[in-house]
Amino acid sequence: MAAPCVFWGTAVSYRLFLGGRVSLALRQGVWKAAAAELQILRLRHTTGVTAKKNVAALKRETYTVDFIKKQIEEFNIGKRHLANMMGEDPETFTQEDIDRAIAYLFPSGLFEKQARPIMKHPEQIFPKQRAIQWGEDGRPFHFLFYTGKQSYYSLMHEAYGKLLDVEKRQNQLQAKGLFSEKTKTKDLIGSRWLIKEELEEMLVEKLSDQDYAQFIRLLERLLTVECSAEEEEFVQRFRRSVTVQSRKQLIEPLQYDGQGMAFSTSEGKRKSAKAEAIVYEHGSGRIKVNGIDYLLYFPVTQDREQLMFPFHFLDRLGKHDVTCTVSGGGRSSQAGAIRLAMAKALCSFVTEEEVEWMRQAGLLTADPRVRERKKPGQEGARRKFTWKKR
Amino acid sequence: MKTSSVFEDPVISKSSNMMMKGRNKVLATSFMMQTLEAAAIKRNPYTIFHQALENCEPVIGLVPILRGGHLYQVPVLLADWRRHFLAMKWMITECTEKHWRMLMPERSLHELLEAFHNQGTMIKKYDMNKMTEAIHALAHYCWC
Repeated sequence: MAAPCVFWGTAVSYRLFLGGRVSLALRQGVWKAAAAELQILRLRHTTGVTAKKNVAALKRETYTVDFIKKQIEEFNIGKRHLANMMGEDPETFTQEDIDRAIAYLFPSGLFEKQARPIMKHPEQIFPKQRAIQWGEDGRPFHFLFYTGKQSYYSLMHEAYGKLLDVEKRQNQLQAKGLFSEKTKTKDLIGSRWLIKEELEEMLVEKLSDQDYAQFIRLLERLLTVECSAEEEEFVQRFRRSVTVQSRKQLIEPLQYDGQGMAFSTSEGKRKSAKAEAIVYEHGSGRIKVNGIDYLLYFPVTQDREQLMFPFHFLDRLGKHDVTCTVSGGGRSSQAGAIRLAMAKALCSFVTEEEVEWMRQAGLLTADPRVRERKKPGQEGARRKFTWKKR
Repeated sequence: MKTSSVFEDPVISKSSNMMMKGRNKVLATSFMMQTLEAAAIKRNPYTIFHQALENCEPVIGLVPILRGGHLYQVPVLLADWRRHFLAMKWMITECTEKHWRMLMPERSLHELLEAFHNQGTMIKKYDMNKMTEAIHALAHYCWC
């Protein structure tokens, strides 16, 4: 927006200059000439502007600190306006409320979620950029500027410095004789190291794979050695928590029927077969499928093995009675659907550890394999037409 | 989905799948079961099956490699899955092509027992003789 203003400014000043020099009589002609000049100027300047813009577009767009500050102020003011519009308290208006309000006020039918209108804090929209690293005389502020990756190397220095401190402390303790070999088991299970992209984002610098691997090795070395609270805090900055997969499994609640017998129901799917199984707590291992005994419904051994799998895995072969309904699919997929339904229903009779074992054995995951579609230009999903040389 | 039942063996199910024709798994598994039942007279049929396949496995295979416009048959050490696959494939083709007046389970039983004792057509046919000649020729062309 700055460049057009500039060219208008020069054009106006040029026009005034022209007008000032020539007398009144020739003013009309002057104005026409000025208008013509203006047009030429405009043309010249537009071409200049477009040429300049192309060169700038090749480099990264640099946002100044003032620009971002202004954007943040505008965002805050806009947030308050939005809160007033929606009739809510502007003090307690969170980002989720903003998203909901924008989705309500600007409904968009676009499929691409990132193309829909958003209103987020400027820090999330504009990529992080580094302030200018050198002073007026051209000398850089940081002593590692000429390495190219100043923040990465300074971080490595810091980590290594901490390691040396810890070792020095240990040597001192050993010299005094107070050294006790304690191995603390830290909670490393629920967390993972930062991935390379996250580290790059944190340091606002490009890293190579070897740099990243080196850094992680250094941190792991720090962890093995006994370190104090501040060093642990330093390491924890580079760990992210991970949701434990096993706790996501929904365990069906137990229900009780008329006679006081506990049972649980659940559903299973495989290809196009859908099954619902009711597993009773006490029984003699009878399975009824659609009212028919399983031996008659599944004459093939392979299908009966599939039904047997969950019970065999938990050593509860003859202990539960099952009634199930199944529809759709073929012989094998119906067996798979019933197996999944039974396994899910069994979860409620079994300890959490055994549920975790079942999940690892693959009993509780639905088989995602579906028939692959036929593609045009090929005879089947994968088979191509016969290749003829001519 | 795979079961981990006591009665299920990955090698047996793989070879019965390879024997299958026309989506008829019932027939293929019935052949396999009959073979194993007949072999179970003296000792554990699973050990016989595994041992027979191991005896049939080739160590080196000839791989056509294109170099300088010519296709050379270079001897290359085969990977595990390739060896198992070739052994099973040869076994099944032997059984189907023999044209004996015997039913499939009997034929496959015969082949299995012969391979188990390191005799028979399987071992002779796919011996290393061809391979050794190739090795002499292209030993110094080892691009593997």
